[in-house]
Amino acid sequence: MRHPRLATPLLAFAAALAFAPAAMAQTKDALVVDLPGDVATMDPHLQWDTDSYSVYRNLFDNLVTRDTAGRIVPQIATAWRYTDDTTIVFDLRSDILFHDGSKLTPEDVAFSVRRIINPAFKSPQLSQFDQITSADVTGPAQITLHTKTPYPALMAQLVKLSIVPKAYVERVGDQAFNQQVIGSGPYKLKSWQRGVQSNLEANDAHWHGKPAFHTVTFRAVPDIPTRIADLRTGRADITRGLTPDDADALKSEKSLQILPVPTERIAYMFVNALAGPTKDKRVRQAIAMAVDRDTIISALQQGYAKPANIVLTPANFGYIADIPGWPHDPARARALLKEAGAEGATIQFLTSPAYDRRLNEAVQQMLGEVGLKVEIVMLDQPTYLRRRQGTPEEAGALSQGRWSCACQDADGVIFPLFRTGSIWSKFNNPEFDAAVDAARTVLDETKRLAHYRRAFEILRDEVPGIGLFQDYAIYLARKELKWTPTANEAFFITDMKWQP
Amino acid sequence: MKRHIAGRIGQALVASFGVLTIVFFVMRLSGDPTLLLVPEGASAEQIAALRHALGFDRPLLVQYGAYLLDLARFDLGESLVQRAPVAGIVAERIPYTVALAGGALVVALGIGIPAGIAMAVWRGSLLERALAGFVLAGQSLPTFWSGILMILYFGVYLGWLPTSGADSLASLVMPSIALGALTMSTFARMTRIAVLDELSRDYVPAARARGLSLGSAVWRHVLRNAAIPVVTIAALEVGNLLAGAVIVETVFAWPGIGQLAIQSIAARDFLIVQSVVLFVSIVYIGMNLLADLAYALIDPRIRLAR
Repeated sequence: MRHPRLATPLLAFAAALAFAPAAMAQTKDALVVDLPGDVATMDPHLQWDTDSYSVYRNLFDNLVTRDTAGRIVPQIATAWRYTDDTTIVFDLRSDILFHDGSKLTPEDVAFSVRRIINPAFKSPQLSQFDQITSADVTGPAQITLHTKTPYPALMAQLVKLSIVPKAYVERVGDQAFNQQVIGSGPYKLKSWQRGVQSNLEANDAHWHGKPAFHTVTFRAVPDIPTRIADLRTGRADITRGLTPDDADALKSEKSLQILPVPTERIAYMFVNALAGPTKDKRVRQAIAMAVDRDTIISALQQGYAKPANIVLTPANFGYIADIPGWPHDPARARALLKEAGAEGATIQFLTSPAYDRRLNEAVQQMLGEVGLKVEIVMLDQPTYLRRRQGTPEEAGALSQGRWSCACQDADGVIFPLFRTGSIWSKFNNPEFDAAVDAARTVLDETKRLAHYRRAFEILRDEVPGIGLFQDYAIYLARKELKWTPTANEAFFITDMKWQP
Repeated sequence: MKRHIAGRIGQALVASFGVLTIVFFVMRLSGDPTLLLVPEGASAEQIAALRHALGFDRPLLVQYGAYLLDLARFDLGESLVQRAPVAGIVAERIPYTVALAGGALVVALGIGIPAGIAMAVWRGSLLERALAGFVLAGQSLPTFWSGILMILYFGVYLGWLPTSGADSLASLVMPSIALGALTMSTFARMTRIAVLDELSRDYVPAARARGLSLGSAVWRHVLRNAAIPVVTIAALEVGNLLAGAVIVETVFAWPGIGQLAIQSIAARDFLIVQSVVLFVSIVYIGMNLLADLAYALIDPRIRLAR
């Protein structure tokens, strides 16, 4: 008699044990993300580093956004139209609520624009929005923006403009807002332990629907091997910032998946066209032919990179696919150097610990093989920047960089890098200047592309810089996480799903 | 005694002033921090405007004066990146580092001192050789390597301890061992030498002759005398623990000031880096002062000599 009585609860317990893992795997409420760093500011109008961005963009809605294919699509704005070359009118949704229950109005949108372009606010993002001169509410669900000149990159910049609640920000002040932000996005900030972690909770009332994960924790885990260990033990579900070497070593891991994506970041080499031996165009062309991109990509990037013929990626507007790159031709490079009388010349390669040392050394060896002595000058970052941005004479002959304007437009790349007068430019070509100037002040896309074609033809011939490769962002996730990362490294939790 | 204490405190104050002066000028030696704070595409005008807004265009001595005035008011400024008071940001992290340093000290004292005594008392035995190997390992394994090894073995393979973070007491175990290993070795070696030194003195055979066992002689007389150099080392080691925390906290994602230093360097958050360096230096000076004072308290010869 005693046995059956005991057997029933035992059986039930065994059954519960057997079914529990299966039942738990079907739904996953809490997502844990390991980021290399913590959020610098929750206020979306201040910092815009990748870690801050990954967190706070889930808390806010933006005026417009990009779909997974990279096209600019509506978010708060439902439609937009130019009424003249410097005036653009946005129709806005009127069904959006902030997390405190208040309604998102055109006043909030105008306030957000005015806040970020106010020089007294000292936003590090100011240079991306300072073409906007004013934001006016022009209807119950409408705002109008004015720009200084026709500004074709405006929409690309507005993808990054998060809308903050005017009344709340004005009431609590900037510093308190940064500590306890309120947005209208699919997640709300539950708590933020500065430097440690941020806890987000789903905003079930979001106009776009209920998010798949009820809570999301973003943890700051600086060391890559530790982040990988967290993923292996299931302590975290996804992380970013893997190196190609890490990704290569983790390929066979059964419970994990590597999610690589080509970004809008271009790896390039700067070549000084205004001073030293590289002032001679033939020397610059010889350098372009001595550098072996394919070897760099296979040996240093483990294949996690796409070769680039120009200093721009296909993820940017203005990319011209059919401009040929310089072929890898050491013999011709040697001949050109001889012709220019630069055989055996010594040139300086300025760098800092922020850049991949292996790439410096690979280039040093490649140029050494064609007869150029490369002296690698290792500087601390402020000194490196001061010299690289200073006069042509102190900028060195070469340096490497990975450039991203976070705007996916050629204007944010080749204008600051090569336009005469820009601090980075050590190149002076009136025809190039005219082309990039024209491309930034005409709205017609076909005309803009024609200007960029001309600009890239000049860059190809003059070589003030060499495109190396399109850089990848590499994520590591648990196998069950379904997500397609995008070129702009947006980290929208609503795009993720859990599917065992 | 009073004169001795006052003298030591005076020296510590002079050293602190020297440190904050050095920190200020070294941080500015490498150039203009404004360049680190602007986005890549910023124009020369935008950089100049920010430089002016932050006051970095003022003469260096004027900036130094302002810095001293702020420090006198315990104002460490506002973080240029996080836009929050630096003092608060640093203060939030201190408890974590104190907990970690405490854990490491427990590991270091709890293992190091008994090991050192055992090595001295049973000199030449198999036990001494085994312990010497253990001490050597603690001394020579770099923490960035032993830390990852522990994470892989105890965290990933055995699943006993959390691989990262600071959310339970279990999280503290591996970082404490990683950080405490080197200090443990130092304690073991110092204790061994000090105990051996005392054991060779005449009072030990005298005590034994009075009928005390070796254990009682060590416990009652030797350890008390051997403690003097060990106490000094203990205070100095706290400073070393703070320095070691930079690596250990990064490896284990332990959110103390060491990790804050690394994060702030990466984020180019100039004022936080400056404040962390200042904090660690002041703690180091403070611990030195404590060691000096404790030394005088334990050993009357030192205070009587003055």
